[in-house]
Amino acid sequence: MIVDINVNGEMRHLQARSGDRLVDVLRDRLSIASLLPDCLSGRCGRCFVFLDGRLVQSCLLPAFKAKGARVVTFEGIADSPEVAEIEEALRQAGALPCPFCRTAKIMAIVDLLERHPLPDEKAAMEQLDMVSCACTDPISLIKAIGLAADARSKRKFNRANK
Amino acid sequence: MRISEVYFPETIAETLELLRANPELQLVAGGTEIVGSQPTRSIALERQVASIVKIKELRKTVRTEQFLELGSCTTLTGLRTLASGTLPEPLYDVIGGIANHGVRNIATLGGNLCCKNRFMDLWPVLACLDAQIELRSAAGARWAGLSHLCGEDGSPSFPPATLMARIRIPLFSYNFIFVRSLGGNALPGPHTATFACMANLGRDKIEDFRLIFAGTKAFRLKEHEMAVDGRRRGMKGREMQSLVDYYTDAFSSQSWYDQRLFASLAQEAFERLCS
Repeated sequence: MIVDINVNGEMRHLQARSGDRLVDVLRDRLSIASLLPDCLSGRCGRCFVFLDGRLVQSCLLPAFKAKGARVVTFEGIADSPEVAEIEEALRQAGALPCPFCRTAKIMAIVDLLERHPLPDEKAAMEQLDMVSCACTDPISLIKAIGLAADARSKRKFNRANK
Repeated sequence: MRISEVYFPETIAETLELLRANPELQLVAGGTEIVGSQPTRSIALERQVASIVKIKELRKTVRTEQFLELGSCTTLTGLRTLASGTLPEPLYDVIGGIANHGVRNIATLGGNLCCKNRFMDLWPVLACLDAQIELRSAAGARWAGLSHLCGEDGSPSFPPATLMARIRIPLFSYNFIFVRSLGGNALPGPHTATFACMANLGRDKIEDFRLIFAGTKAFRLKEHEMAVDGRRRGMKGREMQSLVDYYTDAFSSQSWYDQRLFASLAQEAFERLCS
């Protein structure tokens, strides 16, 4: 079947079988390198995409369920100020995720700050729990989330240089 | 790999028409359980599948003074983000403990209740709350209690060629709520189960007592619940222990879960109830 999906702002008509997972279709047909079908059970976060604005694990979605949806992968937000702020915050906090989970952790933080501009520790921990890789110390990650939230609100309210 | 025919009905009527033509049609809403329980790259589905998550009628929320009515395709995140105070408190907490935020963005209330292989976290809690489900089939629509989804041997059972359209939750509140989810993971495993116990503690008496334990099977004994109703609120020692023993003895015939874990949960629930 052909599944029409808007991927990172471009309409795509992707050939998929009924049993294909969305992660496989995006990776194999569109060569989206940030996605990896690893755990296939929603634990590792390596297949995060935003589906109609909501962060989901694309390994848990049959491709046909994305028909008519807007999908944004890490590549679609990589050049955004949000990601730049998060990367800078991670550097400042000394919380550098390994190459395996870097994009997953950044996607999770982007989603968290979208829903909770000033997240508390509980919300941050809950969000980080979606990425099973334990390469980074959670205290530094929470510090980085705080710094990213601060940078985001400064930019949003034009307080950056004051 | 079997290639399935996938349908995209846009209304309940269209779904029922598909079900009438093919009673074996597999309805997929969130699909997290169907997909996540398969470790293979390719997902095995039935010959004919209908994706129902985009049916607007199945995503509606209605609140009246007496109940909250939710479309079966409401996502768990959608439920948790209902206005503060809309969702009964025990449900809010249990949903927060299900998998993780990403899974809850996909998983639906109906999917949680209609799982073929086990009772998921919401079933025992909603059963304690006396929730009702609307079942639609070619024969018409009817409301039923959640016990309707439990077979005689305590296993999950769902009527064939039927669609669960809505879930109606009475907004009656309990002042004693004890819920524990066991075997936490992103997706349910063999040790996943939920223990739910609720009651109303009047000035002197315990009323409307319910205790449900559900995992691969469900355990609820109405006559035991009636034996607790009307007991003194401050009962201690032997009287309380006799009720715990009453439950643990009854559970000893169940082989689907560790008896000691059930006994310790029952002990804790009764101690809190009587404290």
